[in-house]
Amino acid sequence: MLKKQIGQIKVIYMRMDLVIELLDSPGQLIKALEPISSLGANLVTVIHKRDYKNDNGNVPVQLTIEGEHEDLKNVVNRFEELGFTIIEMDGVVKKEKITTIFFGHIVDQDLRDTMDRINEIDGVVIVAFDIKLNGEEKSTALINIEADIGLKQTVFNRIAEIAEEKELLVINEV
Amino acid sequence: MDECKVIIMGFGSVGQGVANALSMKRDLIKDKTGVDIKVVAAADSSSSAISQDGLDEELLVKTKKEEGKLSAYPEFGSDKNGADVLDAVEYDCLIEATPTNIKDAEPALSLTLKAFEQGKDVVTSNKGHLALKFKEVVGAAEEAGVEFKYEASVGGSMPIINFTRDTLSSCEIKSIKGILNGTTNYILSRMTSEGSEYEVILKESQELGIAETDPTQDVEGIDAACKTVILANSLLGIDATYSDVKVEGISNINSQAIELAKKDDYLIKLIAEVSPDNLQVSPRLVKRGSSYDVSGTLNMATIKTDLADEVSVIGLGAGSLETASAMLTDLISILKNKN
Repeated sequence: MLKKQIGQIKVIYMRMDLVIELLDSPGQLIKALEPISSLGANLVTVIHKRDYKNDNGNVPVQLTIEGEHEDLKNVVNRFEELGFTIIEMDGVVKKEKITTIFFGHIVDQDLRDTMDRINEIDGVVIVAFDIKLNGEEKSTALINIEADIGLKQTVFNRIAEIAEEKELLVINEV
Repeated sequence: MDECKVIIMGFGSVGQGVANALSMKRDLIKDKTGVDIKVVAAADSSSSAISQDGLDEELLVKTKKEEGKLSAYPEFGSDKNGADVLDAVEYDCLIEATPTNIKDAEPALSLTLKAFEQGKDVVTSNKGHLALKFKEVVGAAEEAGVEFKYEASVGGSMPIINFTRDTLSSCEIKSIKGILNGTTNYILSRMTSEGSEYEVILKESQELGIAETDPTQDVEGIDAACKTVILANSLLGIDATYSDVKVEGISNINSQAIELAKKDDYLIKLIAEVSPDNLQVSPRLVKRGSSYDVSGTLNMATIKTDLADEVSVIGLGAGSLETASAMLTDLISILKNKN
C-alpha cells in the first residue's frame, strides 16, 4: 500500500493483481484495458501472450492495476459487466461449484476410475460424493465438484464421456 | 374484411375449447378487430357438421359430448371428414386442432398444405408437422402468401413464440431453456413433495387424467422434443428436425435421485434446451427458488437474449380453454393484420 499526499488530502492507493480471460479475437485486449483508465485506476503491468490458451480456448491476461479502493472495485465490476471472466484475484484462484447426479451401476463400473478421471483434470477436484445403494439394482450418486473458473465445460465433457462409456444417466445442472 | 369464416378441424379437447372460447369471446373479437367470426364447419376424426350460414358453437360441443360424433349435429351433420370438409364449404381460416402425430404428421400435414393451396390462413395447435417438416410447412405458407400461426403448439397458454418474436423483437435470442411438458412436471413435482416412486405417481396421474393411458410421448420426452424443434426453428433460426434433438425422459428418475438433489437444495426437472450448439431434452438439476422452480402442470421458459439478458415466462401448458386462448390470440392477430 502506498500513501501519496496530494495537497492536504491523503489518498490511499492500492494494487490489485488480476487474471482475466479474453476471447481469442481482435480488439478484446483494448476492450479490457479501456475501463481501467476511464474509471480512474492506473495500469501497472499487463502480460498478454496470445499463443498461450486455456482449455476453453480463451486467452488469460495478467493485469496489475493501481488506484483507490473504490476505483479498483469499479474496474472489477465493469469487467464482470463486459462479460470478462476473472479467474484469479490477488493470487486467489476463483472456483465454481458443479453439482451432478449419476444413476446406474456406479460401483460395479469402477467407481475409483470414475472419480480419478474427474480429479485428474488440472484445477478440478471432487469435494463431496453421496451415494445411495439399492442392493443389486442401479444406484444413485450426487457429486459436488470444484473447478477453476472457465473449466465447467471441460468437466461436463469429461462427465459425458464417462457416462456414455459406463452407461450412466447423468443429471447435470441447467 | 367484416366476417371471417372458420373451420375447426379436430374436435377433441382443444377443438371443443376453441368452440367454447369463440362463443365466449365473439363480442371481444368484434370489438378488437371489427370482424364477426362464423364457424362454418367443425370436424372430428370420422364426421363433421357443415353449414355455410354458420353453426352454433355450444351446440357443436353438446352434440360431440352427448352423441360422440359431429354427424349427429341437427340438420347440418355430415359424414364428410378430413380434407373433404375443406372442399365442402367456403372459408377464410382453418383452425387445425387434430392430435399430434410424430410418425408422419398426418392428418395435420395434408390438411394444412391443402388449406395453403386454397389460399387460406391456418392456426394450429399441432406439433407433428412442425417437428418433422418445419421448413416445408412454413415455406408452403410463405409461397401461398397466407398466414400460418402456431403459438398453441408450444406451452399451451404460456406466451412464448409471439412474445419472443414481437415483444422481444429488439433482441437476438441466444438460447431458450424451459419446462415444456406439464405432465412430467406434475409427476416430478409430486415425487419431490411426497417422496414417492415414479410408477406410483404415474399411475395416479393417469387416474387423474393428467397423464395419458399411453404416457410415452410425455414421459420419454418426445412431446418436449417436438416443442424444442419448433422453438429452434421459429425463434433461433436453427434448421433442425425431431431427430436432431437428444432426448432422455424421466422414467429412470427414482426417489433416491430426487432426495439427493433435495439435500443440496436442487430439484430435478425435465428441461428442454434450445441453443445453437445444443438441442436437448433431459432431466436436469435446477436450484430451488430459481425461475425453473415451478411445480404442478405449469410450463416455463427462460429466454436468454443479448440486450434484455434473461426473460422468463410461466403459464399453464395444457388444458382445453388454455390452449384455445393461444389459438384465439393467433386468430385475432391474423384479423388485425388483414384490416
